[in-house]
Amino acid sequence: MSIRLLQISAYVLVLSALLLQRAEAASPPPALYTRSQALQGASAFEWKCASCHGHHLQGGVGPALEGPVFASAKSGFTIQQIYEFLSVEMPAYAPGSLTRTQYLDITAFLLQQNGYPAGSRALTDRIASESTVPLLFQAVVQAPAGVAKSRAGAGKPLAIPRTNAP
Amino acid sequence: MTRFQAFLPRRCLWRIVLSAVLLGPAAGAIAAGYPVVTNARLLHAASDNGWLMFLRDYTGDSYAPFREISTRNVSGLKPAWDYKIGMRQGFEGSPIVNGRYMFVTTPKDHLIAFDAVTGKVLWKYQKSLAGVGLKTVCCDVVNRGVALYGNNVYMATLDNYVVALNAQTGKVVWQKQIKPADVGYAMTLAPLTLEGMVIVGTSGGEYGARDFVVALDANTGREIWRQYTVPSPGQPGSDTWPKGKIYRHGGGSAWLTGTYDPSSNTLFWGGGNPGPWLARLRPGKNLFTDSLQAFNPRTGQRKWYYQYTPHDSWDYDGVNTPMITSLTYHGRRYQAIVHADRNGWLYVIDRRTHKLIYAVPFAHAISLAGFRDGLPYTDDAVRPAVGKQIFTCPSFLGGKNWWPASVDPATHMVYVPTIHTCMTMKGAPTFYKPGLPYLGETFKVVHDPNDSNWGALQAFDLDTGKRAWNRETRLPWDAGAMSTAGGLVFSGTPQGHLLALDARTGQVLWKSPKLSSGIIAPPVTYRVDGTQYVAILAGWGGATPIWGGDMVKSVANIPVGGHLYVYSLK
Repeated sequence: MSIRLLQISAYVLVLSALLLQRAEAASPPPALYTRSQALQGASAFEWKCASCHGHHLQGGVGPALEGPVFASAKSGFTIQQIYEFLSVEMPAYAPGSLTRTQYLDITAFLLQQNGYPAGSRALTDRIASESTVPLLFQAVVQAPAGVAKSRAGAGKPLAIPRTNAP
Repeated sequence: MTRFQAFLPRRCLWRIVLSAVLLGPAAGAIAAGYPVVTNARLLHAASDNGWLMFLRDYTGDSYAPFREISTRNVSGLKPAWDYKIGMRQGFEGSPIVNGRYMFVTTPKDHLIAFDAVTGKVLWKYQKSLAGVGLKTVCCDVVNRGVALYGNNVYMATLDNYVVALNAQTGKVVWQKQIKPADVGYAMTLAPLTLEGMVIVGTSGGEYGARDFVVALDANTGREIWRQYTVPSPGQPGSDTWPKGKIYRHGGGSAWLTGTYDPSSNTLFWGGGNPGPWLARLRPGKNLFTDSLQAFNPRTGQRKWYYQYTPHDSWDYDGVNTPMITSLTYHGRRYQAIVHADRNGWLYVIDRRTHKLIYAVPFAHAISLAGFRDGLPYTDDAVRPAVGKQIFTCPSFLGGKNWWPASVDPATHMVYVPTIHTCMTMKGAPTFYKPGLPYLGETFKVVHDPNDSNWGALQAFDLDTGKRAWNRETRLPWDAGAMSTAGGLVFSGTPQGHLLALDARTGQVLWKSPKLSSGIIAPPVTYRVDGTQYVAILAGWGGATPIWGGDMVKSVANIPVGGHLYVYSLK
């Protein structure tokens, strides 16, 4: 095979990989938790996490936990990494002190606040521990009238993701 | 990237210029100019009328030779001026004063310049943190103050910039980023300026960083040297680490300002805890973590070291200030380093022989069990492992955290802010991921079973190693100490009182009215036109409310919000 042919093949391969990546990025985020879990998670977050991370996850003495800076491609967090970390080391004043259900609910709430849709299947310890799904902030479209973006403890309806709203 | 505002209205400027012309230089107005900060002034900062650097001078002793405010008249202290800053995070900064210019930093890297006499705001600067997640900042988004050199003021930032600003205008002269943000590194410390260099160190021991001290040219920001606290393979000390790549995430954060001994031309800088916290993952002593490091300040070459806690598994950073002093112990005169460590021991080290003179526990200390031939050894029974929970003292917050102690050459005492905490700790699974903590342990801070209080301010006689006095407090003692030739020790309380204590007895001689928030910053003092001032930032926060375990409840209702207070006798 000539060098020229090799170069062309390499370009084709790279181009294909890029296109595949774009296709993946454009695909709707999966529904990994239930609405009920996110609601429970909002309550647990308010009680156990908001003092450091802010009532709206906007950050305070601890980092913001929603938005394009936190859940960025540059950060490259997966759901498994976030779940493993927070269920072992959080809250900082008493790591590991919450119940497994509370950690799952809080993970569901973080997913919801970063634009991931709720679904019919509950997030389980096994799913969260094995999920290689990247945590990438999903832009939120303007909510329809009467529907606001959900915030911790506010008891408002859920966020409306750009795609795949359940 | 930057915002700069000049706050002097034109009309005001004309008045000042006119006054200066009519009254001459003796008027002492701020328009008389900015006093240039030379190497000579920095070397003699101890006797300067201002407060030129983080802990006043290169010794780091936080001692001022001012006598106007003394044990006899301190009860007459009155508010001179104050300034409400706001923000809800912790205020850990030392106000830095040169002539009539005062520079105050806030959480999230804002910087305000004041007239130190009137409190008038001269300019403000805010480092843009847009796009910065502050993901790898462990213990509140604090800043501990600025450094001065020439006509510049220097600030280290949470996104790892060193920013040089014109002291009179607040205009950025240069800025340089020494590491990307959010991947393990951050900076919260006050820089140190020394012989035309600005020297800083990185935080990140909880996030898999490999930390370092770096010296930049104060005029240009050009990097002069960078010395890692964790050696790479083949470097001296590398045989105290396992083979492989773990050193790349070995911590050793250098997050508190160092000190300088001109007599031996040595820069002292503490190395922080190794990473990950769980020591079983990195067999060896893990140099130069938890260590006093002595550097050649021109090259960054390490001359010698003393490790306070070998093979640390309890997050006992060795960064607390290595204070430079002299003392007489058992009839012998020593040039010493005095250091109150997180592990609960007060170390007194000979600067000439580099050996321990003596060490005494100042808090309940179990993990660091004692000394053999002048070197510390640990209690292996309290080393946590996966599946093994231990109980030990002090907690990872330390017998003392970063809050500056003070050495008083008149009383020969060191004043040590103290917390009485212990902890449970257990090994846990961990993985390294940039942007996330890298610990390998779970933990909970609990009360010291031997002490019903959370805090104390203690005085130790450095010539004997014995405790001279002890002021116990229900809440943790989370503020720095400062002593003066007036026979006083100043410090603050979580309840929001600035205190003046008798340096010889610990008796409280003056207590400020309750300020708007609790105090975690160190006080400073300065003189302008013969008047002595004492300044303190109130603004509760820092590590205690985040990591404090059972202590969190006791401080949960302390109001937050930054506020600068200045007192004088007039």
